[in-house]
Amino acid sequence: MYRLLITLLISSSLLAMEAVLPDDHAQRMARGLKTFDQHISAILKQNCLGCHGGEKVKSDLDLATREDLLRGGSHGPVVVPFDAKSSSLIDQINHVKEPHMPDGKPKLSEQVIAKLTAWINDGAPYAEPLIAGKKPKRDASVVTNEDRQWWAFQPLQKVMAKSIEELLLRNAKGMTFSPSADRATLVRRMSLDLTGLPPSDMSDTSDLSDLLDKLLSSPAYGERWARHWLDVARFAESTGFEQDYDRPYAFHYRDFVIKALNADMPYDQFVKWQLAGDEYEPSNPLALAATGFLGAGVFPSQITANEVERTRYDAMDDMLSTTSSAMLGLTVGCARCHDHKFDPFPTRDYYQMLSTFTTTTRMNVDVHPDGKITSAITTMDKKKSTPVVPGAMRLMICGEGYDPIVMHTQGGPFFDKTFILKRGNPDLKDGEATQGFLQVLSRPGDGKRWQWQPPKDAKTTGRRRSLSNWITDVDHGAGALLARVIVNRLWQHHFGTGIVPTSNDFGKTGTPPSQPELLDWLAGQLIANGWQLKPLHRMIMLSQAYQQSTRLDPAKEASDPANALFMRRVPQRLEGEAIRDSMLAVSGSLDETMYGAGTRDENSKRRSIYFNIKRSLLIGSMVAFDLPEPLVSQGSRPTTTVAPQALILMNSPQARTWAGGLAKRIVSTGDIKQQITRAYRLCFNRPPNADELARGSDFLQQVGDLTDYCQVLLGLNEFIYVN
Amino acid sequence: MIAMNSPSHFSRRHLLQRVGGGFGMLAAAVSLERDGFAANSLNPFAPKKPMHLGKAKSIIWIFTNGGPSQVDTWDYKPELKKRDGKVLDGFDPKTGFFPGSVGPLMASPFEFKQHGQSGTWASELFPKTAMHVDKMCFIHSCWTESNNHSPALFMMNTGATRMGYPCVGSWVNYGLGSESDSLPSFVVMSDPLNRGLPKGSAANWGAGFLPSIYQGTWLKPTGAPIDNLVMPASLTPRRQRAQLDLLAKLNRGALAQSPIESELNARIESFELAYRMQTAAPEAFDVKSEPEHIEKLYGLNEKHCGHFAAQCLNARRMVERGVRFIQIYSGGMENQQSWDGHNDIAGNHRGFANESDQPVAALISDLEQRGLLDQTLIIWGGEFGRLPISQKAAKPGRDHNPHAFTVWMCGGGVKGGYHHGESDELGFKAVVDKVSVHDLHATILAAAGLDHERLTFKFQGLDQKLTGVENPKVVKQVFT
Repeated sequence: MYRLLITLLISSSLLAMEAVLPDDHAQRMARGLKTFDQHISAILKQNCLGCHGGEKVKSDLDLATREDLLRGGSHGPVVVPFDAKSSSLIDQINHVKEPHMPDGKPKLSEQVIAKLTAWINDGAPYAEPLIAGKKPKRDASVVTNEDRQWWAFQPLQKVMAKSIEELLLRNAKGMTFSPSADRATLVRRMSLDLTGLPPSDMSDTSDLSDLLDKLLSSPAYGERWARHWLDVARFAESTGFEQDYDRPYAFHYRDFVIKALNADMPYDQFVKWQLAGDEYEPSNPLALAATGFLGAGVFPSQITANEVERTRYDAMDDMLSTTSSAMLGLTVGCARCHDHKFDPFPTRDYYQMLSTFTTTTRMNVDVHPDGKITSAITTMDKKKSTPVVPGAMRLMICGEGYDPIVMHTQGGPFFDKTFILKRGNPDLKDGEATQGFLQVLSRPGDGKRWQWQPPKDAKTTGRRRSLSNWITDVDHGAGALLARVIVNRLWQHHFGTGIVPTSNDFGKTGTPPSQPELLDWLAGQLIANGWQLKPLHRMIMLSQAYQQSTRLDPAKEASDPANALFMRRVPQRLEGEAIRDSMLAVSGSLDETMYGAGTRDENSKRRSIYFNIKRSLLIGSMVAFDLPEPLVSQGSRPTTTVAPQALILMNSPQARTWAGGLAKRIVSTGDIKQQITRAYRLCFNRPPNADELARGSDFLQQVGDLTDYCQVLLGLNEFIYVN
Repeated sequence: MIAMNSPSHFSRRHLLQRVGGGFGMLAAAVSLERDGFAANSLNPFAPKKPMHLGKAKSIIWIFTNGGPSQVDTWDYKPELKKRDGKVLDGFDPKTGFFPGSVGPLMASPFEFKQHGQSGTWASELFPKTAMHVDKMCFIHSCWTESNNHSPALFMMNTGATRMGYPCVGSWVNYGLGSESDSLPSFVVMSDPLNRGLPKGSAANWGAGFLPSIYQGTWLKPTGAPIDNLVMPASLTPRRQRAQLDLLAKLNRGALAQSPIESELNARIESFELAYRMQTAAPEAFDVKSEPEHIEKLYGLNEKHCGHFAAQCLNARRMVERGVRFIQIYSGGMENQQSWDGHNDIAGNHRGFANESDQPVAALISDLEQRGLLDQTLIIWGGEFGRLPISQKAAKPGRDHNPHAFTVWMCGGGVKGGYHHGESDELGFKAVVDKVSVHDLHATILAAAGLDHERLTFKFQGLDQKLTGVENPKVVKQVFT
């Protein structure tokens, strides 16, 4: 028993008070225990427990257990074991320190005070809790081995399997895969999934594997999948808040994402560049543009003197919260004001990670034709800003070492230090925060492993690159979770639901994986493939699971309503972007120009990813089809069905124009039946059935207008869903 | 309460999760099909039962943008007159927005008189509205967390000074659903005189992390108020009808074999609703169809207040049609464009009061005459108050004051002629029965029959609430 007490004592005291353990501590503790039984227990119960651990817990100070006593209350520790002189509790009961205790009652007798003093000098041991059976409050500031047992914090399981099918069938409870969809359906499904466009080559007879290669090497692949990532990155091109000023050079980040995906940049590098591209390749404009990830959040344009500091913490919080949601599927931001209530993220971890961004700000830089990169001064006063030099390319980046973009502010762009804040309040500083990472995703003692020391002439501190080292480190850091989160996002976009349905929350408030082995196996495959995503797309899309028909199967639906076993497939509604892009494509008017500044003109013929995203003026047709507000990381979009969507398809000038484009494409195909057939092939990659042909013919004979007819096709469920 | 905490709660799969497999709940969800926006069990706008008793079916928030001065409107401070011109000792110059323009205490330039049986003091700015004081309930002890327009606007609208949280209207919309099948259930009207939008514009009526369908619909002050409501010129009603008939037939042909039959059905239905909206919505917005005595009551044809009269009248017409939440911004962006009287507080407030006094008074009378006042909560208030000291300017103004301001409510079951809380003798800081913005929000939700503790949405792993985590309290005293 003594051994147990002493172990507790050592662990607590090292953490909380750094007390020196006296040589005779064992003897003293034994003596203290006796005092506790004979006197202390009764003294505390009679004089203290009513307010501190019994009916009330004033000032957060709970005396019911030794652990709670030693942790102290909202004013800090009150007892230092073996050292009554340094224990403020003794000063308070002696009435030499405010507030005097016991509160509102006469001072304790000299005798009682002497007993308490002696007991503290003996290490303040408890033989039992003051309230029978009471367990000490879990100390959320300490990460325990138990915390590390949560599935998402574990290393990847070594799963022996040859295929996705094998793993899914192991858990299928006797079910088998639904039959495969027909080839035409699969071609349309694959095309829309990978490129967000309907299949264009109707005479395509290549096998599905070749088709996949073609789609994956199409530039449209990057344009489609970049949009998924932009949701996660809360990407927009304006500041938000009062004026919502444009960020005219922010589009380079969007272009980076498209280029990286098309080039199949290894995902770990994709992550590293977004956090610290300027520290990896300071003279590579693409690496610089990648840091736009950190800078895409909102920021006020008008900041009063007493808001400067809070605003800065908000801005850093945006960077950290987005990084942890997007890359690790964790809600670290919750630990800003208190130790995370559900996940083992102590407030201290939060601020240590936050300090990564202490000196990180948004900056505009000019890349000159000779490759030189210079700072562009950007203030709210155009006259004091650097004009854009002809031939140079201006990028908005987010890092260190160039001139920060300055808003209307009564303070500077950042503070030199980041502090640990109590309750998130900049007025309640609790010591400086030095860089560190989530304990629960770090092997103990590895603190220095990820630290990167920048070269002497570097403009940066190395802190973001250090973060990126930790986040991609599979064996010692967060890399295993990083891999799980991205393979889950891939799965989600291919199936409609992730293996972890809460794709932005892998913590305890999220939903655990329906197929944990499959998730880990896929993550392992990704890492084994050098973190390249395209081979993973191939593997998933060539699987029997992906190729199942969406035909109704009531028995399977009844036994697995959430489709957690993936033994059937559910049709998916296309996102607003893919609906609009598909309309443009079948109308024959899609402008395939890539990259560069976007537009907010709904009449634009470019793909929807090139819409300029201004937070106060989001594109109406995109919002109607559930484009999320780009304010925080969004892992999945809702799919709603509301009248404004129908109004767009019925009345918007664009729907009408594109229907006209489709009509033009089919008008010269031949007679009505041939026109209808051609339209069905373009829109749905199949010929019409007899009923559809008859109804179409009737309509065209009675109403006559081919554009009217084409507009109907563009509004059909089949057009906006993928079977 | 129908569980509604999944961000993608519109697929069948999620519906099943939401109802927890309980047949009763599924049946309940289905039985709400009748009047909804999308007329289907998956309809996110299906009217929902209030969680606890509250009388307001609709809320009209007259948002006095820019921050009206409490001591010049509804919070009478005789002491301020006595100390006119004296320095306010210990004043922190960072309280307002302009630390360099701090002047001495300044008496209100307006006369105050008592009104009604309640003897409510009101300034001369609102002669017509003041006739209703015995129906109005004043909270004089409001305070907020920011001294800057957009964070304070976000605070007042969304409960957070940071951008990106769902606003009160979205929460009400999410909590109660819609009673209207031809109008959006949450609409926002901004200044029609080209003086700009409130700072932060659409973020003030955004749905944040709630599904975007719950965001406010901003009625454009000029032109067609809602996008795509008008049929393309190249179509005729007959041809569009033929289109929709063909669409429905072709869509139905594909239904039987689909595992998402109900969702596809909802989409078929959504076209019919859209078709009806084309005629119903313009009819609702047509204030010119009102009889002459109503036009006169509101001052629809008066130059000084006609624009605001049209918006208030519009609000009443929408209330009649089951719209849940209507927000009207009085004033444009800032400074002289809104109640933001940094310069010439007298002229500034006289102007904006003159624009809105008659229409607001008319709205109260009109709703009352139609028996709608009991079920309609009117809120009048802005993002913060103004300081009792002057701001040095060409003509003296008043700077922002987050420490005290007055909000009044009327109708919807609140107590008439009642005054809750107090600011100090100068109207500088709220001191008695202080009401935080979260308290105010909890109270507004309660008036609409919603329990702020239970109106939650799961996001980022937490059950998010409008009213945050610090145990806000419903101001129960304001209810009858």
